[in-house]
Amino acid sequence: MYHYNAEDKKFLLERVDQFEKQLNRYLSGELDEAKFRSLRLRNGLYMELHAHMLRIAIPYGILSSNQLRALADVADKYDRGFGHFTTRQNIQFNWIQLPEIANLLRDLTDAGLHAIQTSGKATRNITADPLSGLTEGEIEDARPYCELIRRWFNLHPEFSWLPGKFKIAINGAKLDETALRIHDLGLKLVRNNKGELGFSVFVGGGLGAAAMIGEETASFVPIEDILSYLESTMRIYNLKGRRDHQKKLRIKFLVRELGAGEFSRLVDEDWQETKDDPELKLNLKELESLKEVFALPIKSINLDGFKEVVDFNYSIWKKNNVRNHKVSGYSIVNISLTKLGSAPGDATSEQMRILAELADQYSSSEIRTTKRQTIVFPFVRKDQVFDLWKSLEKYDLASPHQGTLAQIVACPGRDYCDLAKAVSIPIANRVQERFNDMKKLLDIGDLKINISGCENSCAHHHIADIGLLGMQKKGEEYYQITLAGETLIETNIGRKLGPSVSGEKIVDAVESIVNVYIDHRKDEEKFTDVFKRIGIDPFKEKVYG
Amino acid sequence: MDEIQNTLSLINKDYETINLVTFDEWIENFEKLSKLGVGLIIGPADDVYLIKEQLDFIKLIALDFNNFDDGRGYSQAYLLSKRWMYQGEIIGINAHLDQLQFMIRSGISSYQLLESYQGSNEKDYSNGFSMCYQAAANNDGLTLQY
Repeated sequence: MYHYNAEDKKFLLERVDQFEKQLNRYLSGELDEAKFRSLRLRNGLYMELHAHMLRIAIPYGILSSNQLRALADVADKYDRGFGHFTTRQNIQFNWIQLPEIANLLRDLTDAGLHAIQTSGKATRNITADPLSGLTEGEIEDARPYCELIRRWFNLHPEFSWLPGKFKIAINGAKLDETALRIHDLGLKLVRNNKGELGFSVFVGGGLGAAAMIGEETASFVPIEDILSYLESTMRIYNLKGRRDHQKKLRIKFLVRELGAGEFSRLVDEDWQETKDDPELKLNLKELESLKEVFALPIKSINLDGFKEVVDFNYSIWKKNNVRNHKVSGYSIVNISLTKLGSAPGDATSEQMRILAELADQYSSSEIRTTKRQTIVFPFVRKDQVFDLWKSLEKYDLASPHQGTLAQIVACPGRDYCDLAKAVSIPIANRVQERFNDMKKLLDIGDLKINISGCENSCAHHHIADIGLLGMQKKGEEYYQITLAGETLIETNIGRKLGPSVSGEKIVDAVESIVNVYIDHRKDEEKFTDVFKRIGIDPFKEKVYG
Repeated sequence: MDEIQNTLSLINKDYETINLVTFDEWIENFEKLSKLGVGLIIGPADDVYLIKEQLDFIKLIALDFNNFDDGRGYSQAYLLSKRWMYQGEIIGINAHLDQLQFMIRSGISSYQLLESYQGSNEKDYSNGFSMCYQAAANNDGLTLQY
């Protein structure tokens, strides 16, 4: 797998030194609050409700076991013994003390980890399909491209002070696990009719108070020209994006104001000036060497004589958590961190160390994180899946929730976040309690519930089957419900059901929605398909009737 | 709020005093001003594409970086220096020490700090980067890795 070299680590240390100086100037009163805010966010630091939150980047969701151990050490040494995996494949720590941050970051540099651009108005962590390189039918493994694009926009001098944050997702698979069209910029690897590889580019997607789906600005940009195309897109955004209205900073508003056609014309006009600049061509030699670095560490094995263990609990877990691998003899194992009473995405330092140990033993020391706040072991031998499950069960990590309604995605909500209007985690827990019956969960099947504590939509509620958005009404917590959001095959923003529902009654409303789905579905019909067939009214009647 | 300096004139690298006009004045009075050898103050909202064909007549350009969070100056510096190869000096005025690394790599040729930074120890702000991950308008002294 890919590791930072000595030069990269030196760069990380230089960045920590720089941030430490900024922090010291702030603490001594030399740097004012507004400028420090701008600088600290570019290093992933938020001043939160009870303490300070620091977000650490997990580029395109890939971690080594040693990196996970380093994160566990941080959780113990600088936090309260746990971390929170986010919907953008990163990890954040919620109880950090300001004077300790530089030492924390120095501890992480040796493992090749950092907090650069995990927040602020710059290019954020690039997200990717956690199954990149693992499944059949992929157009191309996105990871080497993710790395080259990540590098290019790392402290990019021209684009580090954009009007708003800039999130990029890159997908190389046919199904879209990355939800690329709800990103500021989504790249889809495609082949043209000559079989050449390139990118379709989608710009102006985003969630938040005004959820929008990205528009295609280019149907095919050759891979070697992608950096110049991205630069042109960001240049037009940097020069013309709204800076006068706090709620219209994102590129989606510029694309809508200009119109997608005019926006892409402006980008194209700029791009014509730079696309032939040899300095801006993607480094194809480096691409080839990265492809070797990212090559799968496994080869096909013949397991003809292998017989699967028969065990009821194991079979339930396996059905939900294990997927086919393109390399014969191997499986992809999904590990849910969600269990009754815990915050979605939270992992204790002990769990992190156990997962690191198990990854060494069963998954070539590689771990991936997902936008559903789960952990993936990408390289597990089929004849070792049972042993892995037994170990996971021993440490209470064998939740069979993956692929069921109980695998809820939730942001930290008002329990931790300064921006949140309502709690998220307690609602997730109450829904899990209501459906605390494995037989029922299996019967309902893969139904996605996402809960955001405010309009910032960190839990991506717009793209869930059932999305809940926390808000305040006369001092009480209420939740707006959206239904049938999706991204996997087509991208649709969830439709608002009706008036928001009180925190007290929201779990009843969720149960009513699930019951309408079960009553109307045919065979294994998915929630979104039932919704398209029967419309919103039956759900409305049941919830509000 | 940081103070904006009175920059009606600037001294260039040859120690000449160059009178400055605003972007709007330049656009309105191009015929007259283009013969006077003046410099131009460009703010973040000014559309530099409008002067693309007039650069030979501009003695010096002062880009205003006063607003800490407004990043348009970096793209303006790139367009003027790298894309359109403006031959005169591009001075980043009202500059913040924390942003010098971005300004210099985007193509400014010199800078003038905001008065509030006078007396500051520049070492406290030094960036000290030995490498960069992208080709920009100015990569001097940096190892490129991309």
